[in-house]
Amino acid sequence: MSRPGFVLTVDERTPPLLMHSGESFKLQQFPLGTRVVYPPESLPGLPDLDEAIEHALLQPLDSEPLPALLRAGMKLTIAFDDLSLPLPPMKKPDIRQRILEHVLQHAADAGVDDVELIVATALHRRMTAAEIKAVVGERVFRSFWPDLLYNFDAEDRANLAHLGTTDTGEDVEISKRAAESDLLVYVNVNLVAMDGGWKSTAIGLASYNSLRHHHNAHTMIHSRSFMDPRHSELHSSAWRMGRLINEHVKVFQIETTLNNDAFPSQYGFLTKREWEWSLKDQALFIGAKHGLDILPAKQRRKIFQSMEAPYAVTGVNAGAVEPVHHATLEKVHQQQLVEVNGQTDVLVMGLPYLCPYNVNSVMNPILAACLGLGYLFNMYRGKPLVREGGVLIIDHPVPWEFSTLHHPSYVDFFDEVLAESTDPKVIGPKFEQQYATDPWYTHLYRTSHAYHGVHPFYMWYWCAHALDHLGQVIWVGGDRRAVARMGMRTASTFADALELARDTVGSSPTITYQHAPPHILSDVR
Amino acid sequence: MSLSSEVRQMARAWRWTRRPLPPKSAEPHHTFPEPREFPTEWARSKPARVAREAILRGGLTPLVNRETAIEIDGLDIFDDLDGPVIIVANHTSHLDTALLLTTLPTKWQRRVTVGAAADYFFDAWWRAIGSALVFATFPIERHGQGLSDTPAKLLEDGWSIVMFPEGTRSPDGWTRRFRPGASALAKAHGVPIVPVGISGSYAAMPRGRNWPKPGRPPIQVRYGRPIRPLEDENTLALNGRVADAIGALLDEAKTDWYTAQRRAAAGETPPSSGPAVASWRRVWESSAGPELTADRPKAWR
Repeated sequence: MSRPGFVLTVDERTPPLLMHSGESFKLQQFPLGTRVVYPPESLPGLPDLDEAIEHALLQPLDSEPLPALLRAGMKLTIAFDDLSLPLPPMKKPDIRQRILEHVLQHAADAGVDDVELIVATALHRRMTAAEIKAVVGERVFRSFWPDLLYNFDAEDRANLAHLGTTDTGEDVEISKRAAESDLLVYVNVNLVAMDGGWKSTAIGLASYNSLRHHHNAHTMIHSRSFMDPRHSELHSSAWRMGRLINEHVKVFQIETTLNNDAFPSQYGFLTKREWEWSLKDQALFIGAKHGLDILPAKQRRKIFQSMEAPYAVTGVNAGAVEPVHHATLEKVHQQQLVEVNGQTDVLVMGLPYLCPYNVNSVMNPILAACLGLGYLFNMYRGKPLVREGGVLIIDHPVPWEFSTLHHPSYVDFFDEVLAESTDPKVIGPKFEQQYATDPWYTHLYRTSHAYHGVHPFYMWYWCAHALDHLGQVIWVGGDRRAVARMGMRTASTFADALELARDTVGSSPTITYQHAPPHILSDVR
Repeated sequence: MSLSSEVRQMARAWRWTRRPLPPKSAEPHHTFPEPREFPTEWARSKPARVAREAILRGGLTPLVNRETAIEIDGLDIFDDLDGPVIIVANHTSHLDTALLLTTLPTKWQRRVTVGAAADYFFDAWWRAIGSALVFATFPIERHGQGLSDTPAKLLEDGWSIVMFPEGTRSPDGWTRRFRPGASALAKAHGVPIVPVGISGSYAAMPRGRNWPKPGRPPIQVRYGRPIRPLEDENTLALNGRVADAIGALLDEAKTDWYTAQRRAAAGETPPSSGPAVASWRRVWESSAGPELTADRPKAWR
């Protein structure tokens, strides 16, 4: 029986609490009275995954069964989420492999010859062959790679289809192959409430021309939060686009949900409540922390990036996009939702080594900001955990380090754009077009493994709601130059950060620590 | 944070026991482990008995004698006893178990076990193994549950049992309410109870100390006449007789045998639970310790 999440109040009995800090972790003692939001424990996985997948395909929600949609001579396209999901990458076999094999078996049984598989990367970097193979598995890879299994290319004008505009004038431009198929099957991994639904196809297979309508500062400030689709302008836009897509192509959505088993067993202490740590957990913490800390940075990163999560699948739903996504969100909430009474003056979080955009790569300062101010800040329903004008304290080293392979436009964005302004509303109109259409960045996006030129803007827009809402952001242990470039402050220790926070929230603020990962969606009342 | 300071921080912050202490607000969300009895049969095996005898004779007895000045009285009662008994004493210090085990006649010392609080002595594996080996302890759940089958089996196997019916060490040196577990056991198995009054162990090593005070503080261990359960006597009445007997033994430590006997006969034994005065005065009086009746060697004074 998994225990629900809850809010702890730090008292004399509370041991120091685990906190992620980039490619390390630490124990942090919190002041008495600090609230700590703990995620629910992992839900049990489905007892028979193959049976659950077949059940979803044969008894879908608001749709004919998959075999009834398949016929010889048809054009079938299967799209699936890229390596930004799940985090950390899932221990093999990946759930997408399991589902793709079932779907393809039905397609083979129906005699479908024209099948193509597209990695729904949107403006993310192209996945390497090895990365794709890890997701789809040997059998699928061998059968389809490279001609019939490929990364989506949002800059391949010849292979994009403009389907029209929504009622509010938003362009809908997606993969031509997907748009012109008789059936588009989308295989999703719904790690957090933001994922899935029409976001899968309307964003995952879309071009910049389409994405610019919702990936901007205005939309993000009005998405409160983008982890709550009912109150997210981002999702409203994606839903409008999705409904237009649905008029052109039949979409069979397959969504999956995972439990909270985000770390392998040797790092089990990362998901246990600290007062329940056994002697073994304490020894593993000491060994892992100090062992990793003394390693050269390259080796340490290799170890972290090779971590595979033993996620169990908690749900598989298939059929029409909206009812499927409704069922998916219920499962996500069951795993991640925690009720929290009232906002706080100071919100504290420790950032882990990984965000959706640095798998097998470096977490540069912009990605660190996006993870903290974008993703983790937005993990709420109702109201933000921290009050308007409050302080966010983030623990992360924020190294001034970029991958020129994966994030070339980030380097210039950091040097050029943020040096001029850190206001998302200012930088968008002034610089976005230039980066989005830069031929060199476009070339790297299409032929190498670079994120699109405009991607760092999106990361900064992701922070827009937090930047608009917060009075101050303080990074504990962050590189001073890098943090200053982002218009924020650094502190050497957590105690120093609280001292700095006094200027904004006074000398006895309420403090809340968001004990994540694993994911927590705070339902703030 | 350096490795050593982190280890120190962990040693301070975590209980290295089988029962974690969750923060107050986490208690409703905490699953306490099912209590399970720590196995102690091995501690009554021949090799363990041999090891214990060596430890008691070669280590503990000389140590207790070096650190405290013990006066033992009433050991002759064991001459007329045969078979298992339940030894019941007042409890004010961790010294008490060592005092009883080191003062018992050898024959009894070899076949005695000690009931010890499961939530304290059997909480951490190292403490459980240590106490089971040295003191032949077995676990007693003192919160809400009745006695396990273990004490009954021990009596049937001919082992005597030491029990402290107050359940825990006295916070001020005076006795607390005697729980009837030992009396119920004696009644159920028809074994006699040997009352023991221990005076001075609170003054020597009260709660919070883990070593006796310097200067060989005086301690008196008085064994009383065995109390046999009567056929028409209920457990509570037997428990009352035991408490009275221990009260008289403690009174004897402050007066003399005859005075204590006369007061007991007249029902005028001062209550061993102490006077109803301010708590500091109770602690003050208890921490003075008894006067030894025998003269101590002048050279060591």
